[in-house]
Amino acid sequence: MTGDFKSDGIMFAIAAAVIVFVIVQSVFFIVKSWKRAKELGISETTLKNTVTSSALFTVAPAFSILATVFALANSLGIVLPWIRLSVIGNLAYETTAAQTTLDFWGISLSKAVTDPQQFATITVAMTVGAIAPLLMIPFVCKFLQKKVGNAVQKSSAKSTGLSLGDVISASAFIGIVSAFVAREINGMTVASTNAVDELGNNVLDAAGEIVKVKNITGSAGVVSILVLICAMIFMTLISFICKKFKLTKLEPFAMPIAMFAAMAMAILFMNVLPEAITGMTWYEIGAEV
Amino acid sequence: MSDKKYMSPREKDYFDRVHTWGILWTIGAVLMFASIPVLVCIKLGVLPQTDALKIVLPKLMGLYWTTAVVEVIAYVPMLGAGGTYLSFVTGNISNLKLPVGLNAMNTAKVKANTEEGEVISTIAIGVSAIVTTVIIAAGVIVFSIFVKPDVLQSPAIKPAFDFVLPALFGALAASYFEKYWKLVIVAVLAGCLVLQFIDASMGAGTLMFITIVIALIAGFVMHKLKWLK
Repeated sequence: MTGDFKSDGIMFAIAAAVIVFVIVQSVFFIVKSWKRAKELGISETTLKNTVTSSALFTVAPAFSILATVFALANSLGIVLPWIRLSVIGNLAYETTAAQTTLDFWGISLSKAVTDPQQFATITVAMTVGAIAPLLMIPFVCKFLQKKVGNAVQKSSAKSTGLSLGDVISASAFIGIVSAFVAREINGMTVASTNAVDELGNNVLDAAGEIVKVKNITGSAGVVSILVLICAMIFMTLISFICKKFKLTKLEPFAMPIAMFAAMAMAILFMNVLPEAITGMTWYEIGAEV
Repeated sequence: MSDKKYMSPREKDYFDRVHTWGILWTIGAVLMFASIPVLVCIKLGVLPQTDALKIVLPKLMGLYWTTAVVEVIAYVPMLGAGGTYLSFVTGNISNLKLPVGLNAMNTAKVKANTEEGEVISTIAIGVSAIVTTVIIAAGVIVFSIFVKPDVLQSPAIKPAFDFVLPALFGALAASYFEKYWKLVIVAVLAGCLVLQFIDASMGAGTLMFITIVIALIAGFVMHKLKWLK
């Protein structure tokens, strides 16, 4: 059997069914929320701004996800990564799941999978690995949401001005955002790969298992910090302009505009700054850990 | 029950309904999701290799199922009910659905865990899910037919996508910086110190637990000392 089995009509039909499911579910929740928002007195303008701003905000990360679909396509064909990254998936999970399964046969993710049974096994492994949150959510979502919601409302009800509820809510947001910001300032990413000898063959240990090595695949450095700072400056500047000139219509777009501008700066930095600066990362890419 | 004291019957009704819808959709998603490998096996006329699965699945489940517990606890209170049910089906939460929800609530000046926050967050995440799905679908079709996928890897464009996360979270952090700059500095510094002295490769999902706790403690103390205005 050739590699075509990964991208034939039936695979595309499965992908189409997944897409229809995701879109119908999203439309269902949007319609219900929209109706409730109107009952709550939230203005049509606020709702429309939410839609436009969220759509704009999504464009760049969505292309980033698309790039990862192509990254996996070489090995798994275009359709399976497309399906997996449209439901539940993300790059780190899917790559790890696929590579861990391929390790069983000593195959690298950089080579095309041509055996249907291996392909089917990878599909099962990816699915079982990723399905956990969907099995948990129906049991815990209501409990977690009510506990936190009541705590926030209780503290808000007792105070005037900037209530403890406001601060708790903001602190939780800031805690989340800070984790990502800190990683861009001082973090690194590590990937586990098969150890290979001079001939490119997998190295086996005494038990016949493939020896794994961990390598640094990404690191914070000068450019990640510069882009972070640029995004903060652009956001602050746009917000200031909106307030100063009372441009309320521009306000919902401040975030996507700041993000795109910072991404443009990343292109500029990487193409204009000397390599000695752009290559300055806190952890050596490729080094074993 | 203390729940009733802080939630109007109408509001309670709405949240309950969202949970009912969410559970039904999630059951549908699980069935659809589980049917994918079944359909692939039927189509190919093969069974998955059980020897491989016996070795691989315990590894993957140990890694992913533990992470899933952490993510569910961390994300659910922030995403809201509808946002949670949508986000966990469509994935890409930390790099897309969460910031989109936070941005929308921030811009609309509504708080998470209120009904206003719930509807705004759900609309934002729903729109984001549709846009992402459409872009990926259109991209796969357009790029695989007309353009070489390598174009996204070209030196001219690649840096933009390599640095999408600092661009995204930098803009998001700035929106809180004006009002809560002391709190932002404490939480970011705490995160950097953890990465420096404990584990520089710690994922955002784990690090987030530490920075949320630090931010909550710092926020509580600063509120008591009236440092936040």
